[in-house]
Amino acid sequence: MSHGSALSATSQPSRTGSQGPAGRGGSLRRRSATGWLFIAPFAVVYLLFLVAPLAYAFYLSLFSKGLATGTIFAGLGNYATAFTDPAFLSGVWFVLKFAVVLIPVQMAISLAVALVLDAITTRFARFARLMVFLPYAIPAVIGALMWGFLYSPTFGPLQQLFNVFGGQAPFLLGPSHVFGGLMNVVIWQWAGYYMIIIYAALQGIDTSIYEAARIDGASSWQLAFRIKVPLVSSALVLILVFALIGTLQFFTEPQILRLVSNGTITPEFTPNIYAYTQAFSYANFNYASAISFALGIVVFIAVYVFLFFTRKRGSFLS
Amino acid sequence: MKKSRVAAAFSAVAIAAGLAACSGGGGTSSGTGAAGTSPKLTNCTNKMMNGAPQVSVWAWYPNMATVVDNFNKAHTDVQVCWTNAGQGGDEYTKVQTAISAGKGLPDVVMLEADHLSSYEIQNALVDISKYGADKVKGNFSAGAWKDVSQGSAVYAAPVDGGPMALIYRTDIFAKYGITTPPATWAEYEADAQKVKDAGGPVFGDLGSNVPAVMMALQIQKGATPFAYDLSKPKDLTVNLADQPSKDVLDYWAGLVKKGLVGKEDQFTTDYISGVVSGKYATYVSAAWAPGYLTGAGVGKGASSGVWAVAPLPQWDPSNPVSVNWGGSAFAVTSQATDKALAAEVALGLYADPASLDDGWKTQTIFPLNQSVLTSDAFINNKSAFFNGQTANKDVYIPAENAYKGMVYAPITVYYYAQLQAELVKINAGQISGADAATELQANILKYAKGQGFTVTG
Amino acid sequence: MTTARIDATHRARGRSPQRRVPLRPARRIIPYLFLGTLVVYFLTPIWWLFVASTKNVTGLFDGSAGALWFDKTFALGANLSELFTYDGGIYLRWLGNSLFYALVGGLGATVLAVLAGYGFAKYRIWGRNFFFALLLGSVMVPLTALVIPTFVLLSGLKLTDTIWAVILPSLLNPFGVYLMQVYTADAVPDELLDAARVDGAGEFRTFFRVALPQLRPAFITVMLLSVVASWNNYFLPLAMLSNTNLFPITVGLGLWQGQASANNSGGHSLWGLIIVGSLVSVIPLVIAFLSMQRYWRGGLAVGALK
Repeated sequence: MSHGSALSATSQPSRTGSQGPAGRGGSLRRRSATGWLFIAPFAVVYLLFLVAPLAYAFYLSLFSKGLATGTIFAGLGNYATAFTDPAFLSGVWFVLKFAVVLIPVQMAISLAVALVLDAITTRFARFARLMVFLPYAIPAVIGALMWGFLYSPTFGPLQQLFNVFGGQAPFLLGPSHVFGGLMNVVIWQWAGYYMIIIYAALQGIDTSIYEAARIDGASSWQLAFRIKVPLVSSALVLILVFALIGTLQFFTEPQILRLVSNGTITPEFTPNIYAYTQAFSYANFNYASAISFALGIVVFIAVYVFLFFTRKRGSFLS
Repeated sequence: MKKSRVAAAFSAVAIAAGLAACSGGGGTSSGTGAAGTSPKLTNCTNKMMNGAPQVSVWAWYPNMATVVDNFNKAHTDVQVCWTNAGQGGDEYTKVQTAISAGKGLPDVVMLEADHLSSYEIQNALVDISKYGADKVKGNFSAGAWKDVSQGSAVYAAPVDGGPMALIYRTDIFAKYGITTPPATWAEYEADAQKVKDAGGPVFGDLGSNVPAVMMALQIQKGATPFAYDLSKPKDLTVNLADQPSKDVLDYWAGLVKKGLVGKEDQFTTDYISGVVSGKYATYVSAAWAPGYLTGAGVGKGASSGVWAVAPLPQWDPSNPVSVNWGGSAFAVTSQATDKALAAEVALGLYADPASLDDGWKTQTIFPLNQSVLTSDAFINNKSAFFNGQTANKDVYIPAENAYKGMVYAPITVYYYAQLQAELVKINAGQISGADAATELQANILKYAKGQGFTVTG
Repeated sequence: MTTARIDATHRARGRSPQRRVPLRPARRIIPYLFLGTLVVYFLTPIWWLFVASTKNVTGLFDGSAGALWFDKTFALGANLSELFTYDGGIYLRWLGNSLFYALVGGLGATVLAVLAGYGFAKYRIWGRNFFFALLLGSVMVPLTALVIPTFVLLSGLKLTDTIWAVILPSLLNPFGVYLMQVYTADAVPDELLDAARVDGAGEFRTFFRVALPQLRPAFITVMLLSVVASWNNYFLPLAMLSNTNLFPITVGLGLWQGQASANNSGGHSLWGLIIVGSLVSVIPLVIAFLSMQRYWRGGLAVGALK
């Protein structure tokens, strides 16, 4: 503490620049060291639980260990295996397809709800806002368990509805419907969270802009799509990044629904499930590390590329 | 060397960070009582009877609470600390994780025979032949003993077996005019066709999540999936695409294609609900099945008094073969602190008459101990689930006595997962049984080679 | 950019709903229909959970009332009392563990995020741009990809299967740091800090007395996000823990699901317990969110506005 006050005594306001949030006022007298003291606790956790595991995953991924052999150096062999392993590739292909279909649908729903909630402010709208958001407070494990029951071909409500007409409801975890079945679970779980982020951004917009637009004769639709949506584009980019990361590392929902999927959801259904199976069922930590690391890199690059192309509109990274 | 230094550095900082976090979160001390760091032995489901040294046990027998209390009451030198760490696959994942982590295994663990060699090869199990196992060898049949031993080494104390048989519904059989249960697989198919033609339910079920059943059925026709001997731990023979293996898969693929059997995973709530409501005329299953079905509500209400059991259909009735599904044993792990004490528990737990009686009377276990198998009460028991049928005498005891033991590879978890994947494809009509066998063989060969085995096959 | 952001936030606070242009009645019905449909969709599973919690096992699987309506017997009380006593009351222990992990992990992550966010926002630290970019980049590293190597590292230290294996990794919340940096840069004027320093307050005193009170909405937002992340966490504790007494509720219910799927329930089916257990476990977070929504909505806007 005394160190800090000693620093502030040597103030030289005249030299402060105007760039960046720390640029104003007497920021220069606050030296780097004190700032780092604030950052240090986080930095330690960051090093231990992000940098170290990533580095260690890479290290482990360079070796291979069989049940009947000791550990041997494999170089990039595990990566060569992974990128020719049909099980891994089919998982990657699934999550990519899933992301491409899911994310636009999910964002469209979240955006639509947020726009409607921004436009009407009745008690019902407030109630609706909370109800749409509610699933976010429910752990994904429990959400998946519930949907597993609702999808049941014997006592799920969908089947009971079909029973009235004497039909057979589609099994939403069967091979031809599992895509939609999982999509529904994810949308239910996360749309409310994304909606709240967009809604919060919408609430932050200065309303005088709307009034000006109204005077110019803009309709509600024009107001929504010409003015509101562009103004919350950075929020959209943010949730898109979240959704992309979440989808590419898809794990909990398919893992829980596996037990009731009649074999549709395999141990290599998504890359994360595959890595988990390799590590914890087959004790193949080296290969699992290679998959984790490869997955991490793929996600990182995918998101960075995406942000690079949307850089001008959003400011999340720029 | 390098690895441990990295770990040590990590440790120092991690602990520092932990302490920092602890003081940072000092305001929320309310939860601390609920989750202190607990040493292994505070994690018990049961209450101790005295202060003797404790041995930790993972087991999933439904009547385990009674069994543990029986054991603890009778012992002043040792007490069992029991946890249900999940059944089957769930437990095996935990066991494998604890082996990998080098900590977290209980002293004694319940395992099925098909998983023993997978852990033996990782030196995770203790040879208990010197700790008293040899003395109880005479209590068990040769087949049962073979399942838990490798040469002269014994890796687990057998408790129960799973001689397989054909459970069927008398109401459905009567309705569709089947007077005697099918004795051969050809009759099984013919009866299935008969029921279907009369508009009846499916005859059985090919559940992809019970690959162990398929393995047993293949062995019944003469398949020898694996040859493995722990004295040469690196040599493995893989033989999954021989003619009997293909034939059995093709047989079931044919039943599926003709719509004679269901394609549902077994043990799910949907499946059980189907069993109760008469969706399946038969259930190819093991001797412990009635107990589990009862626990799930089968045999009560609408489905009470309709069950009976017959010997498993054969391929060649003049030369019947008996096979096994499930059944478990208690193994001592290499992480056990006191191995002699742990072996005493492994050999003594679920070996007292009271526990065995409790187990077989509810039909949750089919005991392997000869003292039970030869007792009048057991032989002449009239099963409530099977509507008074003397199921032990008629079906299960002969099946068990004819059982010769099976050979499992030390890659069971992987093998089952791959077999399951093939069964899913067969159920989806994507592949023939023979092609599934060929694909499985190639797959397992590649994996076994990758694991460093010298593979024949 | 900075000024614009502050302006937007300030004006948003002063905004009143009455200034909105009302919609024409004919058009009103469509948004309400839309919202109504969505409310039904989002509530159906929760309604099902509640209804199913009131059924006994027979009602659940063989009941005549249908999945979405009450059965003849109302067994909620019986289910609850069985839930809290089954297996020596292990459910309550799991609930306690979940609360403990969520509060300690969440609070710890928040404290670290507030400190680091303040450091990034208010100090010209060496290499700031580089490290901040690194931080933002790491928001993109899938945290579940870290679980397996972290498990191996922690197992080398014999720390797996302890509470630390769950709490320590959940202290990492790069997005929280980002959120706090953005909020701090806006909400804490440099002039205020300078004034405190002129009065002779040290750096840390300035932080605690001057800056921290301004950060309350963001603190609560990051706290809630971290608590939810810890509370919902499944992969990490699933991998780290094998001692059932240390399980959080998510992994515990997963264990029951596995046992119930194998019909290993010792005579009484576990499904009823899983369902009523799910219902009970949902309640704490729902209450937390409902009671604190005033705070977190304001905080979320900050992250979204940047």
